[in-house]
Amino acid sequence: MIKVVIAGGGWAGCGAAIAAAKAGAQVLLLERTDMLLGTGLVGGIFRNNGRYTAAEEAIAMGGGDLFVAMDANSRHKGISFPGHNHASLYDVNTMEPLVRKVLQNYGITIKTQTRVVDVQKYGKKVQAIILDGGEVINGDVFVDTTGTAGPMGNCLKYGNGCSMCILRCPSFGPRVSLVARAQVKEVMGLKADGSFGAMSGSCKLNKDSISQEIREKLETNGVVVIPVPENLIRTGTLNKKACSQYAIAEYAANLVLLDTGHCKLMTPHFPLDDLRAIPGLENARYEDPHAGSQGNSVRYLGIAPCDNTLKVEGVENLFCAGEKAGVFVGHTEAVVTGLLAGHNAVRYCLDMKYLELPRSLATGDIIAFVHEQMANSDGLKLRYTFSGSVYFERMKVRSLYSSDRNQIGERVAQCNLTDVYGRCLV
Amino acid sequence: MLRKLAPSCIDINSAYCPCMLADTNNCNVCSQLSGKDLCECNWSGLCILYERQWQDKAKSCRSELPNLRQESDSSITRRELIAPETYLLEFAVSDELAQELKKTGAFVFLRRQDDPQYFHFPVGVMKVSQNTIQVVIEAVGPKSKRLLTADLITVRGPYYNGVFGQPWIDNITCGTILLIAGGMGQPPALPIAAKLRANDNEVIAVLAPGKIGKIFIDSELREMGVTVYCIDSMRRSGLNELRQWFDADGLPDLLVSAGPDEQHHAAIAAMQAAGVNLPMAATNNATMCCGEGICGSCECLTKDSRTIRVCKIQTDFIQLGRIDPQ
Repeated sequence: MIKVVIAGGGWAGCGAAIAAAKAGAQVLLLERTDMLLGTGLVGGIFRNNGRYTAAEEAIAMGGGDLFVAMDANSRHKGISFPGHNHASLYDVNTMEPLVRKVLQNYGITIKTQTRVVDVQKYGKKVQAIILDGGEVINGDVFVDTTGTAGPMGNCLKYGNGCSMCILRCPSFGPRVSLVARAQVKEVMGLKADGSFGAMSGSCKLNKDSISQEIREKLETNGVVVIPVPENLIRTGTLNKKACSQYAIAEYAANLVLLDTGHCKLMTPHFPLDDLRAIPGLENARYEDPHAGSQGNSVRYLGIAPCDNTLKVEGVENLFCAGEKAGVFVGHTEAVVTGLLAGHNAVRYCLDMKYLELPRSLATGDIIAFVHEQMANSDGLKLRYTFSGSVYFERMKVRSLYSSDRNQIGERVAQCNLTDVYGRCLV
Repeated sequence: MLRKLAPSCIDINSAYCPCMLADTNNCNVCSQLSGKDLCECNWSGLCILYERQWQDKAKSCRSELPNLRQESDSSITRRELIAPETYLLEFAVSDELAQELKKTGAFVFLRRQDDPQYFHFPVGVMKVSQNTIQVVIEAVGPKSKRLLTADLITVRGPYYNGVFGQPWIDNITCGTILLIAGGMGQPPALPIAAKLRANDNEVIAVLAPGKIGKIFIDSELREMGVTVYCIDSMRRSGLNELRQWFDADGLPDLLVSAGPDEQHHAAIAAMQAAGVNLPMAATNNATMCCGEGICGSCECLTKDSRTIRVCKIQTDFIQLGRIDPQ
């Protein structure tokens, strides 16, 4: 039986695991920490703007399990907040066990607290990966979904230091990139000023620590917008944000709060004393990152060079997805690239032609567009997401954006890709 | 149990980390402190880059450098000839240093107090009782001979990389260990056996007099509950003895070789001949001058063609390239 080994249990790794299992492989998913979903444990926003199109494309292609799970676990559906329409917010506190069950139903073996530290390479192939502790794990094909954030030395050098985020590097050890260990030179994203990396774009307040009035509004509407007092407005942080779809002036002039189970605050970090000067947040405290007064995780340090089938350049049996595959932002982007990487991993073992998604689909176009953009340093300064910034504009211009489920299904059918992820290849 | 030791720095996250190597962009573990742009470590412990940042802040309000090993003066209280040119020395150190020297593979640098710094040479610690340290030296070179001519000495320490495969020794419990020690391998064998016995291991020791011509730790080993076999020569009869252990039904869990490099290589060859592959710990015989990874005198080539400075880098002896005797 084909054995697919996936390193990194974030949304991208979960997407890759499902696609590989559906295509008929035996799947082993390795995760460094004690929980799956990575930064998805504190995210929660999906289906906003073009992400709706991407999620429906994945569903039509037969890889919709994770989106169905998110839908089923949503606290709010179809809400709007500055710059964003028809967003859904899944409950970050209950999502992980649900995803674990979905994966287990497909027979995927999940090993948590299992950190990959090295690869064994023979010629242009990865033969095995080595775990912290020396155990050697063999596989036919490997998927690197280890992400690009941290570890703490990088956050120190390119950000404001370790802010004790959900990645918990000091406790579970640093992320180790399979791609780098396979001696492939990685690419780094840039900030607007040309320095490396970008900072995660949101932090989370404990919901019990905010006023009852705001909490009730948040739970009813899903969103609360509070104007920031003039003296506290800080526009400088916008350029450093990973999530450029939220790097618009309205997010500096207002505090945008979303109900994801936590009270999500759409800014990378905010001094707690200043935050507490805002009515209703007098007792606020951070849920994630714990040092939200000071900073947030730094990402895009270690993107793999890969083609549009998500095969890593220079290694025959290594695929990548999520942030590892390009300057992508968000859970939806992670899942859709994960699906493609997991599916193509199985195709590698069967000697089949790799699937490359056509540019008439938003998912195919974003992958190809990001890879084109990454060829120059200006492109590395931007971040790409279905939900905003340059790529959502492009979606609208090229009529790729749609919030009509039937229309999206028809587009997928026209490309002969209906249920492509759902069919067993073996 | 671990199957293979990943090369690592013996001083990592100790009171002596980050060291001068980090200050000079040559850290063995942190990629950023060796001149690279990004994190590339496999280390899950305190981040060395972070530690350095906090220590830099602390240094600005303290005069001394906290993570440099200090020198202290001491006087020799016992000097006993145990074999020709071989002396047991005893001297007192501070309680803190004595405590720190109780680890497996610990050693100190010694010199006559009024000699220049380049007279320092490394000596493995044989025994620590309260704040008294026992060592054995073979007075054969200018530095060791010179040490015997004065009562007042200077001690610098603690250093820790005296044994390759030290984690094997520290982590094994309720196992069976075959310990071979020849000549000047006996002093380091004593604390190793003590550590192994403290963790409820069964220890079988094969002792040979070696170049110094005397076995002197046998009675102490027996008192610890070690099964001791004394032989005339490791070269002539010891290796046959080893084969007998490797052919037996109950293979040992760990092989410890205390002695010269030739003995380590012979032990590896004996394992290969018997078709067994046991974890192995071996004493570190590299020539050392500074002990801090700076001078380069202990540099060794590994089998995967990297040069490492073995005063600090902990690895399996078998990973080191063989330097054939001329």
